[in-house]
Amino acid sequence: MSTPAVPALRARQVNTRRRAALKYAIKRIVIVPISLFVLGSISFVLVFFIPGKPAVTILGDFATPEQVARVNQELGLDKPLGERYLSYWGRLLHGDLGKSFFTNEPVLDDIGKFLPNTLELVVLSLLVAVLLGLLIGVVGAYFSRRWPDRLMSGITSALQSVPDFFLALVGIYVLFFLLGWAPAPIGRLPVSASGTESFLIFGSLFSGDWETFGAAVSHAVLPVLTLGLVYSAYFAKTTRGSMGKALLTPQVEFARACGLPERKVVYYAFLSARTTVITYIAILFGSLLGGAAIVERVFNWRGVGQWALEGVLKVDVPVIQGFVIVAGLMTLTLFLVLDLLVLALDPRVSYE
Amino acid sequence: MSERTLDRRGSGWMFVRANPGIVIGAGLLLLMLLGAFFAPLPFDPVTPDPANVMLSPSGQHIFGTDSNGFDVFSRVIAAGRRDLPLALIGTAVSLVIGLLIGLPLSSKSRYSEGFMRALDAFQSFPLIVLSVTIVALTGNNIENIVYAIVIINGPRFIRLIRGEALAIRDGRFIEAAVASGARPRRIVFRHIMPNVVDICLVQSSLTAANAIIVIAALNFLGVGVSPPDPTWGSMVQAGAQGISLGQWWVAIWPGVAIFVAIASLNVLANGIQRRVEGG
Repeated sequence: MSTPAVPALRARQVNTRRRAALKYAIKRIVIVPISLFVLGSISFVLVFFIPGKPAVTILGDFATPEQVARVNQELGLDKPLGERYLSYWGRLLHGDLGKSFFTNEPVLDDIGKFLPNTLELVVLSLLVAVLLGLLIGVVGAYFSRRWPDRLMSGITSALQSVPDFFLALVGIYVLFFLLGWAPAPIGRLPVSASGTESFLIFGSLFSGDWETFGAAVSHAVLPVLTLGLVYSAYFAKTTRGSMGKALLTPQVEFARACGLPERKVVYYAFLSARTTVITYIAILFGSLLGGAAIVERVFNWRGVGQWALEGVLKVDVPVIQGFVIVAGLMTLTLFLVLDLLVLALDPRVSYE
Repeated sequence: MSERTLDRRGSGWMFVRANPGIVIGAGLLLLMLLGAFFAPLPFDPVTPDPANVMLSPSGQHIFGTDSNGFDVFSRVIAAGRRDLPLALIGTAVSLVIGLLIGLPLSSKSRYSEGFMRALDAFQSFPLIVLSVTIVALTGNNIENIVYAIVIINGPRFIRLIRGEALAIRDGRFIEAAVASGARPRRIVFRHIMPNVVDICLVQSSLTAANAIIVIAALNFLGVGVSPPDPTWGSMVQAGAQGISLGQWWVAIWPGVAIFVAIASLNVLANGIQRRVEGG
């Protein structure tokens, strides 16, 4: 009697779940324009924190009042606040981020030039960090409370305690000065080479330009290793935690009871722990866009973080604004993709 | 000697045996602080000696000298005077902000949810760049690095304390307190706050570790530095050029000091965590 009712009930349950997921996804997407509005407004307000006048920053302390007035007019600073805010949004929506006070280069062009360098660095570093972190974390969780676990947690705490710029310098000393394996920390290519295209590594790999590729990779080894090692500690910690829990669940016991090989058992345990790792990849990606700045500076990598940092140190307002907007935009997009991905991968997430 | 003193000494040793992490971490930190303020230094940390520039470590200058002829050992020890108290102050301010904002927000009202979303958006910024901006803009003093520490760590405290307080609020004893007519303020201070002390202690030592990294990173960039006063970050920066030439001692020793300070705070945090969990 109840047999026909069961499939109908299940269908309805699945339907409700789907609808909840869809609702969540739509809600998540609707938030984006609101976040963008807040982001743009924050970047506008930033200017008011600047001590002194932008005109004085541009012209120096000995500018005459006429010069200051002229620059203020050029920047539109003589207009009322509401009008400035509106024209700011107008320019922003046309993709005009203004020009640097010092180099007079359009900010958007600069970002287009430097962002690919940072993206290459961050993607490769995260790759190293994830692989190394997963290895440390899984080994630690698998040999829980035995000596490999202690060793791995020791390595994790050590990596957590090293500032990235210090590890970079140690790396330069050991791998460049002592051993001579890595090239000097002077940028992305040797001085003699003149490749200035963006996406040096990925680009030369796809076009088969092995000479450039080899040079670019050897220059990338130290910065990638530095960031990869420092950030692997985060993955090691989260993986150790979530894998430790996953390996104690009944499903793992069941998998062992079924006689699956240990490799498979660990793999299945990892599947249930993977959303934490994915979440961490997104979070670290966002924070590395700016967080790599110091390492970029040490290796003169000419990335967007280094560019923004130098803008900040010179109080170059359009550069700061442009960086805040672009970095914020990328982080927002990333978190949106992340949330939708987790939604698709993990049926345990609730949508309320 | 009475039995009681023996007993107390015995229990002190028991504490050391049971909590090696707390003792080692706190001990190292205390040693660094005491050394920074009271240790007799072999050379004055801010007096240059042009006759002895870039000497490698030797019996007289055990950590060597830098390009100004400063004694690296004296400077590494003296830098703790600035770096360590600043990190502790930044941590204390972050903790207070976390308590003041996190505890009142520990309800599931629409406002508090909205505030948490705003906090999400704020934390998704590249905060190190934001904090460099703020320190650079508020005047290039080392004291202003406290703002940077608070901007990065305040939200973490808020999130942590709110989450913990939310969980505690579901407890029976809170229900009982409400039923017996306790005012909200009494519930928060008398019933909830004592229960978040543990995690606050753990988070505080993690925050102090992070604060030391933030201070060192900003000083490394030249933000908030007033030469010739030594700080670990600015000393690493001073040695960064020479490291490709093999003059490792100028940058490595202050780096080791940073590492030891952060590691002892992490060990302390682990020790407290273990004690709290009763493991």
